Amino acid sequence: MTREEAWRILQGFRREELDPVEHAGRVYERIERWESRVNAFIEIASWDLVHDMALDAARSYREGRFRPLEGLLVAVKDNISTSFTVTTAGSRMLDGYTPPYDATTVSKLLEAGAIVHGKTNLDEFAMGSTTETSYYGPTRNPWSLDRVPGGSSGGSAAALAYGGADLALGSDTGGSVRLPAAYTATVGLKPTYGHVSRYGLIPYANSLEQVSPMARSVRDLALIYSIISGGDPLDATSLDTTPPVDPWSLDPADPGTLRICIVPSLMEGAERPVVRSFMKVVEWLESQGAIVEEAKLEYATHALPVYYTIAFAEAASNLARYDGLLYPSKGGSGVWEEYVSEARGAGFGLEVKRRIIMGVYALSEGYRDEYYLAASKARRLVRDEIHGLTGRCILATPASPVLPPRLGERLGDPIKLFLMDAYTVIANLAGVPALVQPSGLEDGLPVGIQWIAGRAGEELLFRLGLLVEEYTGMAGVIAGEG
Amino acid sequence: MKARIGLEIHVQLTEAGSKLFCGCKSNYRGMEPNTNVCPVCLGLPGAIPVPSRRAILLSLASASAFRCAIPTAIVFTRKHYFYPDLPKNYQITQYEKVGGAPVCSGGEVEYLEPGSWEWRKVRLRRINLEEDPGRTVYGEGGILASSHALVDYNRSGVPLLEIVTEPDIPSPRDARLLVESILLTLEYIGAVNPRLEGAFRVDANISLEGGDRVEVKNIGSLQDVEKALAYEEVRQRRLLEAGGRVERETRHWDSIRGVTKPLRHKETEEEYLYFPDPDLPPVIPGRRLAEEARALASKTPRRVLERITGLGVKIEVAWSLVSSKPAAQLYLAAVERGADPWLAARMLGIDYKGELREAGRDPGDPGNWPSLDKILDLIGYVERGVYPYDTVKGLVLPRLAMDPGVPLREVLPEAVTDPGRIVDEVLTSEPGAVEDYLRGRTKALNYLVGAVMKRAGGRAVDPRLVRRLLLERLEKMRGGGG
Repeated sequence: MTREEAWRILQGFRREELDPVEHAGRVYERIERWESRVNAFIEIASWDLVHDMALDAARSYREGRFRPLEGLLVAVKDNISTSFTVTTAGSRMLDGYTPPYDATTVSKLLEAGAIVHGKTNLDEFAMGSTTETSYYGPTRNPWSLDRVPGGSSGGSAAALAYGGADLALGSDTGGSVRLPAAYTATVGLKPTYGHVSRYGLIPYANSLEQVSPMARSVRDLALIYSIISGGDPLDATSLDTTPPVDPWSLDPADPGTLRICIVPSLMEGAERPVVRSFMKVVEWLESQGAIVEEAKLEYATHALPVYYTIAFAEAASNLARYDGLLYPSKGGSGVWEEYVSEARGAGFGLEVKRRIIMGVYALSEGYRDEYYLAASKARRLVRDEIHGLTGRCILATPASPVLPPRLGERLGDPIKLFLMDAYTVIANLAGVPALVQPSGLEDGLPVGIQWIAGRAGEELLFRLGLLVEEYTGMAGVIAGEG
Repeated sequence: MKARIGLEIHVQLTEAGSKLFCGCKSNYRGMEPNTNVCPVCLGLPGAIPVPSRRAILLSLASASAFRCAIPTAIVFTRKHYFYPDLPKNYQITQYEKVGGAPVCSGGEVEYLEPGSWEWRKVRLRRINLEEDPGRTVYGEGGILASSHALVDYNRSGVPLLEIVTEPDIPSPRDARLLVESILLTLEYIGAVNPRLEGAFRVDANISLEGGDRVEVKNIGSLQDVEKALAYEEVRQRRLLEAGGRVERETRHWDSIRGVTKPLRHKETEEEYLYFPDPDLPPVIPGRRLAEEARALASKTPRRVLERITGLGVKIEVAWSLVSSKPAAQLYLAAVERGADPWLAARMLGIDYKGELREAGRDPGDPGNWPSLDKILDLIGYVERGVYPYDTVKGLVLPRLAMDPGVPLREVLPEAVTDPGRIVDEVLTSEPGAVEDYLRGRTKALNYLVGAVMKRAGGRAVDPRLVRRLLLERLEKMRGGGG
C-alpha cells in the first residue's frame, strides 16, 4: 500500500529532498485520475493557481523562512466560509455564494502557509451520514466505489483517502468527521467543544458541532489540530484555556498507563466484522499492558433521540435566515410570504426540509416541553454520565455499528440513517473530544475505532492513536494504489 | 371608569458605541444605507454573535437605576419570525420562559409629578436586552401601495432595551411623564441620547373598568404617548357608555391624523419558537462589571435634583435644571467653581432655558448651551455689579440662546469704565437738582440717576452703583456745606 503522511512531506520540504511544486503536481495527478468517479470536491483551484502557490512555497523553503504548513494542500469542507471561493454547504440555496469573509480556521491555515486548493462535498448543510444529500451529487468511497464514504464530511475524507489532499477540514455535529474517517481508513478528531473556533462554519447545530481536523495519520491530525485550535474573540463559545499541542514531540502512549472502558450493551446492534475488528485492537492493547474494563452506561445508550431532537431544533432556527433576500435561491412572487416559500421550497433538499419540520415541531408552543426541553434535560444526564466515565478511563467504541453502506441503501430510511451515528453523537452531547482511526480492513473495507476522552483530552487521544497505529500499520495509507 | 395603562418601551442604547454583538456603530444616523454592516449583523451564515461589554454594562446600569437586582447570569434566547429587515429571521432577545434570563426582572420606575411635586412609582415587569432589526423603507404609497421595499441593515443589531411596565399607570399624562422619566434616567447614566431620531418607540396597552385590554402600537414621540392614550381612553369610554363592548385588539396609532385604527386581526396564534441561543453562553457579570454598573446608575435625575435642592434652590427651579441634562451639568459645574447657587439657578434654569424655549430650541441638546466659562463670566459681572442682572437677562441671554458660541464681548453692551467721573459731571451740570436734593427733596435723586444713565449713552452701568455713588457724594456735599 502507498503511504503518505503530511508531516513526512513537510520534513521532505524542509530538508529540500522534496519539491512543493512536484508534490502538488502529484496530488493534482491523483485528483485528475479519481475525481470524475469519486466527486470529493465541489470546487477545485486551477492547477495554474496552485502551481504558483507551490512555487512561492518552494522559494520560502529555499530562503529558510517557511511557516508551519508551508506548501501543504489542505481541502476544506464546503460549509466552512472562504472569501476566495464559493461556500455552498452542498445546497442549491447557496449555489454560487461566496462569503465576504474567511472562517477563523481558514485564516489560520492560510497564515500557516497551507494552500487551500479545494472545497469538499458534504451532505446538504451537513445533514446526513453518507454524503448523498448534496445538491452536487453523492461522493463515492475510494475504497469501494459503490459504497458511501460516510458523512457529512465525506468529500474531505474521500479526498484524503485517494491522496487528493494532504490534510483536510471537516465539521462534526454528531459524527460527521468520524464516520467518514471510519469508512475511508482516514483519521478524524471531534475536538473538545470550544477548542476550535466555529466562526465561519455554516451552522447546523451550534451547541454540538466543531470544525474538526481530518488526516491520514494521527501525527498529521495533531499537526493540523495544533494550527486550527485555540480561543477566538469572534466565537463566544470558544475557550481561551485550550491547551496547545506540539505534533512534533508527541510520543505513543505507554500502554501500561492506559485504562480503557468498553460498554458491551452499546455493541449489541453492531455488525459482526465491526465488532471483530474492534475487539482485535482492544485485546492487543490489553496484551501490551493496558487495563481494559467493562462499563455500563444508563443514559448514553439513549443518546440518539436526544441528539436528533436538539440538532433539528437548532437547525430549524439556523436555516430560517435563508429567505431568498441575501442568498442565491430566489422566489418569483411579489408577495413576501409566498416569495420566501418559493425560495426555500426550491433551495432546500428533502432531508433538510424533513429536519426543519421536525425541528420546528420540537420547539413549538405546547410541544417544546415534551421535546426540546426534555431533550435538553436528558442531554445534561448524558453529559454528566460521560464526564464521570471519561474521568476514569478512555471510552472505546466502534466508530459505526455498520460497514460502509452501499449508495442509496440508507437514504430512503431515515431511522436506519440516524442509527449510523449511535456511537458518535455521545461525544457531541457531552462536549468531549473523540478520535476515530482505522482498526483495520474487513473484506477490503475500512473499519474504524473510536476513542472518547474527557474534556481537553486531545493530547492523550493523539498519543493513544500513535500507539494503535503501531498495531494496525494503517498510518498514511492511500486507497487503491499499489 | 378608571384607566389602567401599561407600557412597553423600546430604547436604543445609542451611546453603547458598538452594536450588541459586533463592532459596527450603535449610532448609524447620517450614514449611507448598508454601510454600517458586517457579516455578524447581516446574519451571514457562520458569522456568530459576541456580546459587547459596553452594551452589557449599560443594560446592567439601567437595571440598577430602576432598582432591579443584577442577575447572576444573563441568558439570550432566539425569537423567530420572518420579516425582510430581520436578517437571520430570528431576533436575539431574552425570553425568560425558556431559560432566558433578562437583565432585569421586577424593579420600579419613579417619575416626578410637576404640580404636586411628588414622586410616583410604577412597577416594572422586566427589561430585556435585545437586537434592533434593520429598517424597511417603502417607496411611494407606503407599506400598502409601494411597488417595492428597500432594506437598510445599518440599524440591524443595535442594542435595544425592551422595558415593560406593569399596568399601574393611571392616566395618559402619567404615561408621558413616566416615559420622560425613563428616557431622562437613561440619558443621565450615559446609555441613550433620546433626541436622536428613532432612539425610542412605545407600545401601550390601556383598559377601562368593564372593558378588555387594547394595545396601541407605533408611538414614536413623547407628545404622542399622551395623545394616543387620551384618544383611546375617550374612544373606549364612549363605547362603554353607549353600552358597547371593548374587545381585546391591537390598534395602530396614526400620528398624522391623531387617531388609533384597528390592525388586521392575526389569523394564527403567534409562534416564536423560543429557545436559548446556543451561540451565546450565559454572560456572568463579574464584580468589576457590577460595580461599574452601579457607579453609572448612581447618577439618576432624582439624586441630582436632591443635590440641587440641598443648595437651597426651590424644587420648581431645580427640576427645570434637572429635566435638561446639559443645564444641570452646567449648573453643578458653575456652583463648584464658586458661582452663587441661586443666581446660577435663575440664570440657567429659568431665564436661559426660557429663552431656548422661546427660540424653539431644544434645551436637552448640549449644543444649545454656552460654555461654562461664559456662564461664570456672566455670573461674575452680575455679582461685581458691572452689569445688572436685567441687562444680562434682557440683552445677553437671548443672543446666546440663538448662538451659544458667540463671544460675550459681541453681545455685552460696552461698560462705563469710570462711573464716578460721569457722576461728577452730572453733579456739576445739574446744580438745580443737587440743590433740591440737599434741601430734602429726595425725589431729585431719581432725576440725577436718570441723568447719569442718559450721559452713559447706552454703555453698561449699574443703576444701583450710580445711586450709591451719587448718595456718597451728595452726603459729602451736605456734610461739607452744613
